[in-house]
Amino acid sequence: MSALITVFRKELKDMFRDRRTVAISLVIGTLLGPLLMFGMIKMMASRVSTQMEKPLTLAVQGAEHAPNLVAWLKGQNIVVKAAPDDIDAAIADQSEDVVMRISPDYGTQWRKSLPAKVELIHDSTRQDASIPVQRIENLLENYSRTVGTLRLLARGVSPTAMQSIQIAHRDLATPQSRAGQILSFLPYLLILTAFLGGAYLIIDVTAGERERQSLEPLLATPASRTAIMSGKILAACVFGLLSLVISLMAFKICFLFSSDLGVKVELLMSTIALLLVVLIPILLIGACLLTLISASVKSVKEAQSYMSILMMLPLLPTIILMINPVKNQVWMFAVPFLSQNQMIMKLVRGEVISSVEWAVYLAAGFGLAALLWAVAARLYHREKLAISA
Amino acid sequence: MIEVQDLHKSFKTKTGLVNAVQGVSFTARDGEITGLLGPNGAGKTTTLRMLYTLMNPDRGNVKVDGFDSIKEAEDVRRRLGVLPDARGVYKRLTARENIQYFGQLHGMTQQEIATRTQALSDALGMDDVLDRQSEGFSQGQRTKTAIARALVHDPKNVILDEPTNGLDVMTTRGLREFLKQLKAEGRCVIFSSHIMQEVAALCDRIVIISKGKVMAQGTADELREQFGEQNLEDAFVKAIGTEEGLHA
Repeated sequence: MSALITVFRKELKDMFRDRRTVAISLVIGTLLGPLLMFGMIKMMASRVSTQMEKPLTLAVQGAEHAPNLVAWLKGQNIVVKAAPDDIDAAIADQSEDVVMRISPDYGTQWRKSLPAKVELIHDSTRQDASIPVQRIENLLENYSRTVGTLRLLARGVSPTAMQSIQIAHRDLATPQSRAGQILSFLPYLLILTAFLGGAYLIIDVTAGERERQSLEPLLATPASRTAIMSGKILAACVFGLLSLVISLMAFKICFLFSSDLGVKVELLMSTIALLLVVLIPILLIGACLLTLISASVKSVKEAQSYMSILMMLPLLPTIILMINPVKNQVWMFAVPFLSQNQMIMKLVRGEVISSVEWAVYLAAGFGLAALLWAVAARLYHREKLAISA
Repeated sequence: MIEVQDLHKSFKTKTGLVNAVQGVSFTARDGEITGLLGPNGAGKTTTLRMLYTLMNPDRGNVKVDGFDSIKEAEDVRRRLGVLPDARGVYKRLTARENIQYFGQLHGMTQQEIATRTQALSDALGMDDVLDRQSEGFSQGQRTKTAIARALVHDPKNVILDEPTNGLDVMTTRGLREFLKQLKAEGRCVIFSSHIMQEVAALCDRIVIISKGKVMAQGTADELREQFGEQNLEDAFVKAIGTEEGLHA
């Protein structure tokens, strides 16, 4: 036990002497996520507000066929201009988001009280065009409904006859759950920080130490290999926990500032504490897995080559849930990464986590960590471990 | 006292099985310096690694003060001070912290460590570098730090793998004095070298190893007598059968 503490303290001291690496991984590594999210919220908010309110310039072909419609549109904060000659090309090179084409027989149809054709030309895969298209669509629908109502009135029919069903929405989304949509990638950032936050340290203390040839003298001391390994894992976990706390604090501050932007999320200190509890198993899993890898490979470089694969792992549940959203079920709380994803989302959305879910989650998380730890300890006892080159 | 009996060790490599050590036996007594002499690649480092329990022999056994290196590995490591081929001093720690770390791993108190560090520092002449971070240490300073670190727990048995490798003349002389001091303190010292003169100058007993086997062993006089040569160097050449390793 004392050997474990000795190794643990030495590794932390050794690491914090390497100021630049610590600064990069603690400050830049942890703050990048919150800053990224803050920037995204800010950009989204400013985009939505400017696109919704500022005058929209609309290219119209055949404006002369429907002077009343065009005049009405102009009254609705729309600036009408002539359409380019080649509409398809203009959409393709994004010089226009959307072009409206009024068909030449608009007038005749209109006078016969038949549906007059107006075409909206746009590319539905362009995010940028979706807001203008929606705006024009709403306006046209408004116009169509107003004129339709007037026509019915002129014929002595009540406009309500048109409405066989009245649809009313009652949205039960809480402010937290609404913000949850924006937060859908918060779990990934947090899981990644927990999973690989201490990666460089843990690779360095096993594969790096062997490469620098200091593992051989260390293993010649009476301290047991399991104790040495556990001390190293513990040091990495403390470092990972530190980066998580910094990261969560940064998210808290980031949300504080973004409340003015219409995103109301609050990370209470109690939520942060629960998030840390949720993330500790993944911290251990990451540290044990990386130790296992470091103990089995030949060099630091080889260990690092696993990083790109490991970085994808926490992304998998997010991708799967994006394509195939499924309801929470108990088994999910036993699947690594998916379970963290669900737990974090529940906490952030302010939902209640049942004691069964907690129990399954913690048992599965710590169970997997213990298994990886045992495998890593076995690898640590291999003869090859200490011998470099 | 270290007793080595019929050690065998082979490794699997891409090109096939390498028999690094095939039947090494010798005894190193307390109060004596035992030298393992042999050309590069003779199996000295592998033999020593089996002595300090880093590797398990395929066959044969090692006893340190009567403790078995496989069954009682921890007791064996407690009784050994080891300077491996790889020095591996922690660069971001000072020399003192390097020594302290190993002292703590041996379960010593801060007071014991401090006293012992001072004694070793005096003996090795490393007072001036004791509180410097070992990044940028010279080869000699690194070796001294590693030796002090290996001996912090005052072990009865000392194993040094090529301790004078890469050292200048003055540092080598200092180190020889230090080894003689260890011997005078009644310790059992084993050191390996591929340098003939060094072994001849220091060792009470010499074990000549080549191609993983013990070619000859005994005092310098016994070896000269055994091979009928006046010169130890000639005896060595006869023992290993080539001139390899003489001019290193």
